[in-house]
Amino acid sequence: MYVFLSIAAALSLFPLVWTLISATNSNADILRGTMLPGTHLVQNFIRLTELTDIGRAFWNSTRNAVVATFISIVICSLAGYGFEIYHSKAKDRLMSILLLSMMIPFAAVMIPLFQLTANMNLLNTTIGFMLPTLSTAFLIMLFRQNTRSFPLEMIEAARIDGLNELSIFLRIYVPTMKSTYAAAITITFMATWNVFLWPRIIMISPDSITMPLLISNLMAGYVADFGVIMLAVTIATLPPILLFFFLQRYFAEGMTGTIK
Amino acid sequence: MKKLLALIFTIAMAGLLLSACGGSDDPAPAAGGDAVAQANELTVWSWDPAFNMFAMDVAAEIFARSNPGFVLNNVEMPWDDIDRLITTIGISGEYHLLPDIMLIQDQAIEVNVLMFPNLFTDLTGSGINFAEFAPGKTDFSVVGGRNFAVPFDNGVTITAYRVDLLAEAGLTVDDFTDITWDQAIALGRQVLEVTGMPLFSTYGVGASFMDVMVKSAGTSLFDANGQPNFVNNPAFREAVDRFIEMVDAGVMLLPGDWSDYIGTLAAHDVVGTLAGCWILGTIQDVGPEGVWAVTNIPRLNIPGGTNYSSWGGSSWVVSSNANVDLAVRFLNYTFAGSTELFDIILPAAGALSTWAPAAASTIYQEPQPFFGGQTVFADIIGFAQNIPDFVGGIHHYTAMDQIDIALGNIINLGMSIEDALAEAETAVRFEMGH
Repeated sequence: MYVFLSIAAALSLFPLVWTLISATNSNADILRGTMLPGTHLVQNFIRLTELTDIGRAFWNSTRNAVVATFISIVICSLAGYGFEIYHSKAKDRLMSILLLSMMIPFAAVMIPLFQLTANMNLLNTTIGFMLPTLSTAFLIMLFRQNTRSFPLEMIEAARIDGLNELSIFLRIYVPTMKSTYAAAITITFMATWNVFLWPRIIMISPDSITMPLLISNLMAGYVADFGVIMLAVTIATLPPILLFFFLQRYFAEGMTGTIK
Repeated sequence: MKKLLALIFTIAMAGLLLSACGGSDDPAPAAGGDAVAQANELTVWSWDPAFNMFAMDVAAEIFARSNPGFVLNNVEMPWDDIDRLITTIGISGEYHLLPDIMLIQDQAIEVNVLMFPNLFTDLTGSGINFAEFAPGKTDFSVVGGRNFAVPFDNGVTITAYRVDLLAEAGLTVDDFTDITWDQAIALGRQVLEVTGMPLFSTYGVGASFMDVMVKSAGTSLFDANGQPNFVNNPAFREAVDRFIEMVDAGVMLLPGDWSDYIGTLAAHDVVGTLAGCWILGTIQDVGPEGVWAVTNIPRLNIPGGTNYSSWGGSSWVVSSNANVDLAVRFLNYTFAGSTELFDIILPAAGALSTWAPAAASTIYQEPQPFFGGQTVFADIIGFAQNIPDFVGGIHHYTAMDQIDIALGNIINLGMSIEDALAEAETAVRFEMGH
């Protein structure tokens, strides 16, 4: 069993290790299939900063992902809480309709969304970037499902003690559901950090570039420098990995709906 | 401590929210229409800072000398993204978001002109002398007799060989000049036997190779009515037969994707390569210096077969949202009128022109030490003038995908060539909606 898991772990980690190693090698070394760390990390970084405005891209990605995650979590957790705690047949039906929206591929709504965003003069803006992601059926479902494990007696006790509904949500529900929040934050941050198609069509200005767009630009030349590309990929991978390591203790509990 | 952390978090979030909601980074920088207000400013979308964008920057510098105050916003955008935005803007009708000028892949010009007639400005009669460009290049951008683009880089197909390895087999590059594919395969077998190395490699399964071979005979993968013509197409059948023969003989290596193909050159796994002349930059990167030579491509052994073809490159289109007068003056002055521009970008970026007057420049005539003193650039310009006219096709990329599948079925699954081509033709017809 351990042998199998070790092989599976090695296979899973190989692309990441290869990326890290390649970030330290020259393009020629990578094309020759070098698998050992090289000495070109600094040169690759200098070339990367010459070719791109990576500082701006990193800041844009960070700002977009953090703001979109924060607002999305607030909206979706309130919605999930509301759907479960104040549930009725009408709300259940509404939830079913919301879930159906998960079946619609993004490409199908891309053109009307683009028109809407353009008409609202929100191209190249963080608001335009995050509008389609602020309320997602998946996150609402995640919060709603996990709220089913939340002891209703606590809410009733709080009401008897005189807490209003918003205070119950903020002071009892949120701290109790921190595992669910951790899972939701991880999922949303990774999704908004990595999103490519939507920003590619609405972030037209070079000032609005994000990390995935920057990497895509690097790969568009007739002669690609894979050392520089792999360094950019490494830098782009760090924030989601750090966030996951920071929240991983809660992540599994959040996904399975465990409450402590 | 917790309160302090909460305070820091609140301040940070407030700052981020304010910065996010504080307006756009640049509300409509891509809109060429806005440039009308700034009469001396153009916005351009193109890709590859070391090649296309570099050329555009040099052009802007040259134009600015006689047009003080001229500003060029050179926006980097990979071709796939330009293609996606063109489609999105074309369908949504938000033409005001287009820049003044865009770089577009040659094979994509016709399909976009036909799909979105209001997307590009018709440049016929604009004062640009299109007769000065190679016919094999302007064939891509003439739709219904109208010119829709100013040609840029040269997609002339070349072969480049390692003369030191050829010498081991007792051959020279002259043996590979003006030959047929049958002769090339025989010579390839000879080289393979002595050096143990294949003659060529290519990316994918070879669809682009097929396209180049068919074009070299002045024919197309589509008939005059725009229908796919795979099964009853002697040029295509000859190309497929020779390609499969090369693969079976070990003369052609199929490493995988583009980077794997470049890897075969970097690792010196092949004796030569056949590609657009833009491959010269890569060859100079991988070296070694002094042992490479360039010549024309083998021809199909059929009536009309020639040793010249085009791999395709890219061209500049003026959008319908452009400051048309300024955009046309700019392109006419630079990419269709400045030998100085091409003199700068040729040695610096390896960007060859299809604009005939550029070939008269002394730089084009200079021997290149890397290629053993061969006047490579003059030779390639000479090749460009011999590329036969060919019929394009708005479903080029669909055909390429299906040909790759067909070749994969033949090479990997042992499917008969007849069945594979018939299946590919049917699939293309289906995707075209027939």
